[in-house]
Amino acid sequence: MSDQLVVEDLSAGYNDMPVLHDVAFRVPKGAVTAIVGANGAGKTTLLATVAGLIKPSRGRVTFDGRDITGARADALPGLGLALVPEGGRLFPFMTVQENLQLGAYAPNARPHLAARMREVMDAFPILLERRDQHAGKLSGGERQMCAIARALMCRPALLLLDEPSVGLSPLMAERVLEIVTRLAREEGLTVVIVEQRVTEVLEIADEAHILDHGRIARSGTAAQFLADRSIQETYMGL
Amino acid sequence: MSNREQRLAWRKTGGVKTLRHELPVTFGALAALGALVAAMSGDSFTLNILASTFLFAGLATAWNVIGGLGGQFSLGHSVFFAIGAFTVSNLYLGLQVSPWLALLPAALLSAVLGVLISWPVFRLRGPFFAIATMAMTEVLLSLSLYFDRFTGGSRGVSIPFRAGLQNMIFRDRLSYALLMLGFLAVCLVVMAAVTRSRLGYSLQAVRDNEDAAAAAGIDVLRTKLAGMAISAALTGMGGVLYIMYVRVADPPTLFSLFDIGVKMALIALIGGIGTIYGPMLGALLIIPLESWLRAELGGSIPGANLIVLGFILMLTALFLRRGIVGGLKRLWSRPGAAKGAGR
Repeated sequence: MSDQLVVEDLSAGYNDMPVLHDVAFRVPKGAVTAIVGANGAGKTTLLATVAGLIKPSRGRVTFDGRDITGARADALPGLGLALVPEGGRLFPFMTVQENLQLGAYAPNARPHLAARMREVMDAFPILLERRDQHAGKLSGGERQMCAIARALMCRPALLLLDEPSVGLSPLMAERVLEIVTRLAREEGLTVVIVEQRVTEVLEIADEAHILDHGRIARSGTAAQFLADRSIQETYMGL
Repeated sequence: MSNREQRLAWRKTGGVKTLRHELPVTFGALAALGALVAAMSGDSFTLNILASTFLFAGLATAWNVIGGLGGQFSLGHSVFFAIGAFTVSNLYLGLQVSPWLALLPAALLSAVLGVLISWPVFRLRGPFFAIATMAMTEVLLSLSLYFDRFTGGSRGVSIPFRAGLQNMIFRDRLSYALLMLGFLAVCLVVMAAVTRSRLGYSLQAVRDNEDAAAAAGIDVLRTKLAGMAISAALTGMGGVLYIMYVRVADPPTLFSLFDIGVKMALIALIGGIGTIYGPMLGALLIIPLESWLRAELGGSIPGANLIVLGFILMLTALFLRRGIVGGLKRLWSRPGAAKGAGR
């Protein structure tokens, strides 16, 4: 299986505060890759750096064979890389439909807007019911679904998900993770997911990396991590 | 796919409001204001107040493009107002160019200046952006006093009275009221068009969350600059109309932070920031009230109008977070909400 995303020796942070140190990992095409770790390990910073929201101080990010290191965030959806930020970050005063429409803002996504809107509404029927409702009035689960749907509007090849289950009830979190699994298994979407619910995310992931104090501490298959009690105790606090 | 086809694809999905949905309300509101002007056609004092009201309604609507829709709380819009005024005064007095023709270069110059001075300032967010725009006003005021060849320095500029449509100078107040109503109409239509365009949605996305907007593929800086250019261009046009109306103005008046820059923002805030008709409603409340207070109390209690304005702003902040329009919407939706709750 070829790699969709390659991260090499990536270092990044906020102004004078370095957060990531020489992070390196690969994401195979069509796989679900989980990034797990304690609070403050640098998971969100890692996704934000890959998605172009933070400029790396060194290292390289390659997406589909193309060097995207330091590329502007707004250019990446057009290349097929979409980010679902933590908490969804919907535009609260816009309707669900308007939020989704903005997901297809990339010039190459605009011609397929109407068709993609139908596909996304088919995949998330609840959004069809709520299409004229302000996004700020959605429930937590609906909000997360809308955020994922908005990211799918640009027909991405790689989806970066930052804690999609944060603030959701266990049942709703399970539903969101089911959707992620379906997108990967049925639509062949490559997914990188950062999650606090370690056991649940390892159950749906193919590969996993443990981030500890801004460095990749361990890498392996999700099954290996689930089976290794010592890893869970040392790095995941399970 | 051409840009036009892309715009059509954007609209074809349905469920998203377009300019077509807004125009009937816009023209309805303008017709009502036109009827008000007609009813007051014999009363010079009221027509004067109406002219000021429409001018500030237009200016606050122009500010709202970047301040309300884009969330960039500029307090330096008096700069574009002054640029418009000085452009027309120089073209009219120096080259005998009709003020009607001068509207275009005034708008263009304001837009270009808006882009140039906003470029570095847009890196700042929230209160830092607002402070930077205030500082920008002071810098440009000092420069305008220094370059007195164009601005008249501390003496200002004076437009001689040569009545005539081609000179945009009229003997009667009715013509000025209609002129300012026309300006408000242009600002409202532009605001409605921007709000319901892809640029408008991008501005709102940038306002709500810049990182999420960028992650959705929106070029944040370009969006802000486009919003600022439109807002500055309209404000510059307002400056043209203002100086042809008062015919005497100096840099401290035109660059005034409170009387122009802050006032535009306050009117939009009180009326309903980010809404199409909020600034118009804000101006309809504030300007006549301020004029009345100044006339009634100005002699006995100087500054009383400012106390009342401050009080209105406090009440708005406490009870009408989304301005008059937000309050009206809440009132409008209350019976429906009650019905929904009962079901």
